[in-house]
Amino acid sequence: MIAAVKGWHAVSAALLFFSASAGAADDPGGAAKELARKTTAFAGRGAAVAIVWRNLSSLDSAANQARAAFEDALQQAGLRTGDLAPLVEAKVTLSEDASQYLLVEEASKGDEHQVWISAWKRVEPASTPSGGLTLEKKLVWEQPEPILDVAFPPAGMLVLSPSGVTLYARNGAQWQSQRTVLLTPAKPWPADLRGHLRLRGAGFQALLPGLECDGTADPSLSAECHASEEPWVLESGSRGLLLASFAAARNYFDGRITTQGGQRKNIPPFFSAASVESQGRTWWLLAATDGRIQVFDNALEPSGVSSAQWGSDIAGTDAHCGAGSQVLATRPGDRSQLDSIQAFNVSDRTPQPLTDPADFPGPVMALWTSGGSAATAVVKNLRSQQYSAYVVTVVCGN
Amino acid sequence: MWSRWSVEIKRLAIALMLAAACLAATRPRYGGTLRVEIHESPSSPEIFGVPKGFILTTWEAGRRAIFTADDNAPGGRPFLDNVEIQLGRALRDQSVDLELGKTDVVELGAAELRRQAPGRRVWPSSPVRLMALVFGPRIGDARVREALALAVDRNAIHSVLLQKQGEISGALLPEWITGYAFVFSATADLAKAQALVAAIPPVDRSLTLAADDPANRGIADRIQLNARDAHLNVSVVPPTANPDVRLVETRIAFADAAHALAGVAIALGLSDPPPARNPQEQYQAERALLDGFRVIPLFHLPVVYGAGPRVQGGPVITPLGEWRFDSLWVEERP
Repeated sequence: MIAAVKGWHAVSAALLFFSASAGAADDPGGAAKELARKTTAFAGRGAAVAIVWRNLSSLDSAANQARAAFEDALQQAGLRTGDLAPLVEAKVTLSEDASQYLLVEEASKGDEHQVWISAWKRVEPASTPSGGLTLEKKLVWEQPEPILDVAFPPAGMLVLSPSGVTLYARNGAQWQSQRTVLLTPAKPWPADLRGHLRLRGAGFQALLPGLECDGTADPSLSAECHASEEPWVLESGSRGLLLASFAAARNYFDGRITTQGGQRKNIPPFFSAASVESQGRTWWLLAATDGRIQVFDNALEPSGVSSAQWGSDIAGTDAHCGAGSQVLATRPGDRSQLDSIQAFNVSDRTPQPLTDPADFPGPVMALWTSGGSAATAVVKNLRSQQYSAYVVTVVCGN
Repeated sequence: MWSRWSVEIKRLAIALMLAAACLAATRPRYGGTLRVEIHESPSSPEIFGVPKGFILTTWEAGRRAIFTADDNAPGGRPFLDNVEIQLGRALRDQSVDLELGKTDVVELGAAELRRQAPGRRVWPSSPVRLMALVFGPRIGDARVREALALAVDRNAIHSVLLQKQGEISGALLPEWITGYAFVFSATADLAKAQALVAAIPPVDRSLTLAADDPANRGIADRIQLNARDAHLNVSVVPPTANPDVRLVETRIAFADAAHALAGVAIALGLSDPPPARNPQEQYQAERALLDGFRVIPLFHLPVVYGAGPRVQGGPVITPLGEWRFDSLWVEERP
C-alpha cells in the first residue's frame, strides 16, 4: 500500500472554480469542427492534409460522425485531404475519460508539432422496448444522492432519499423541485439504507428504519416524522397486504409479521416479499436473508422453498398475462455487477420466465410494488455513480 | 388426492435441492469478521489510516490491526463486525493463506496473479500507481535526462518483470483519467539516446539510481542495463545513498485530472500546475511538468486484491485503490 498523495489542499480551492467540461462541445460534430478550425489555421488555406484516424473509445458510430464532420469542415475551409504531398499530417484519435469523449489531434508540419483536444459530454443511450410480452422500463428520476423510493401522488413526484422527502412538480417536460422535508434520524442511517413510500390519497407515509413520516403533498409538501417501530405495510399489487417489522439499524424485515387476516406470526427474516396467484390460490414469496426464496401460503404458513434463483428484491404486480400473475425479481449477484429485472409466472411454486430480463446499468438497490402492473426500481449506475429511479411495467402482448 | 400430493412433494424436493445449490442474495448480511493480510508494516496506526465506517480497536505494531464497525459511522454502520488485518505478510505467504482458507483478502503481486485458482475473485483498481524515474538536482544537463528517458525499454520490463500488469506510459496521469495519455511518447529510441549521450562530456555520463521500494530493485537493474546500451553509466545504489535518480511509486489519489495532476506534482516535487478548464489546458499543464525530463513516467499499475469464497459484496477497493470494507460482508457456509 502506498500512501496516497496528500497535501493537495493548497491547489484544491483554486481548482474548485474550474470544471473539466468547460468549453466542451455538444456532440462529436461540434468537437470535430473545433479541431478542423485549428487545423486550418495551422496548415493555411489550400494546403493538403493527410489524416490518420483511430478509435480508442467505446463509441462506434460517433467515430464516423466525427470523421465526416472533421473532413467536411476542412474542405469547407479550402483544405485538401489526402495522402499526396501533404503539408500537414494529422493523427486524430477518438478517446474517452470517465465523463467525456475526446477528439485528440496530433498535427505535424515539418518540425512543428501541435496537440489539440476537444471534448463532448457522455450521454447514456435510451433503451428501446421490444415487441410482444415485455418489461418496459422508464427512467423517471436521477440524482447523485441515493434514492430509496419514488411515488406519484396527484401533486407530482415524491422522491425519498436518506436526507429527506422532496416533492417535484411537472414543468413542461421537466420535474421541478417544490419543497423538501428533511429527515433527522436520531442515529446515523444504517448501511444499505432502505425506505418505502406509501400513498394514501393526497397523503403519504414514508417508512424508514426506526422512523415514520406522515405527510401530504397537496396543497404543498408537509410531513411530520417521529421515531417508530411500527410495522411497515407491504403491498403486492392489489392482492396482498402484509405488515412486517423492519429490523432497526439493519436492512431486512426481522420476521415478525401480521397477515391480512390479522394473525401475528414469526417467520425467518427476509428482504422482500411478493404475493402471486397460482391456480386460484395466493402464495407469498419471501426473499429470505439466507438467499433462498421461501414460499408461504396465504395464511403465511411455510410451504417450502422455491427453486427460483433470484436476488433479494422481488415485487408482485397486478398484470395478468396468461395464467396467474407475475412477480418481478432481480437476479442474484453482488453490487459490483450490472443487474436486471425479469418477470416470472409462478406455477406450482416453480418460476417460469415470462419476459427477457430488462437490463440496467448497475445493481438494483430497491424494488417496490407501485400499484397496477408496475414497480419502482432504483438502480445505481456503475458508470455515472448516479442513482436512477425507473418505473418498470409488465406489458402483456397480443 | 394422494397422487397430487406426491407430485407436489417431488417438486418440493427438487426445488429444495436447486435452492441449496444457489444461495445467492443480493442484499448484504450483517456480522462476522473479515481477515485481511498486507505486506506493509506501518510503524503507527496514523500512517495506516482507518477504513471508512470502522474504528481502530487493537493495534499491535508489526503484527496486526483490528478495526471494529462504528455504529455511529456517517453513512451507516458497515455490515462487518470487525476487520482484522495481519501486517508484514509476504505476498507469497498471503496467497498460500488464501488457498488454505486462513484469510479472506490478500494483496496480489504480478507473480501471485499468475497462480490464482480459477474462479478466484480478483479486484484490481484502475491503474493508480505511477512508477517513474525522478531526477535529483545534481543532474543539470537535460540531455542526460532525455537520453535515459529514451533508453528505457518499457516494453521488456512490462512483459517480463511486471507480467503485463498495468499500462506502459509516458504520462503522469493514466489514460482512464485524462483520455490523452497516449500523446506522451513511451517508446524507446536507442539511436537518439546514443546521439544525445555522444554530445555529453564523459564525466557527466555517470549517475546513480536507487529504487525506493526494494521490491522494484529488479526494475532498477533492468534500467541500468538499458542505460548502458545508450552509453550512460548507471550504478544501482541503496536508497539511502542520496542517488541522482530515484525509481519511485506514487499513488494517484483523485479521479479528476486537475486534482490528480496537482497531487502527483506535489508528490514528485514538481511545481504546481496551473488550473485547467478543459482537456486542452489540462494536457498543456501536464506537458509543462514533463518538459525538461525531471520526471520520466514509466508505468501506471493497479492495486490488486484477491478474495476468498466467504467474501461477498465489494469490490474491496475503489477504482482509486482505496479500501472499501464497508461494502463487504461475509457469508458463513455450512
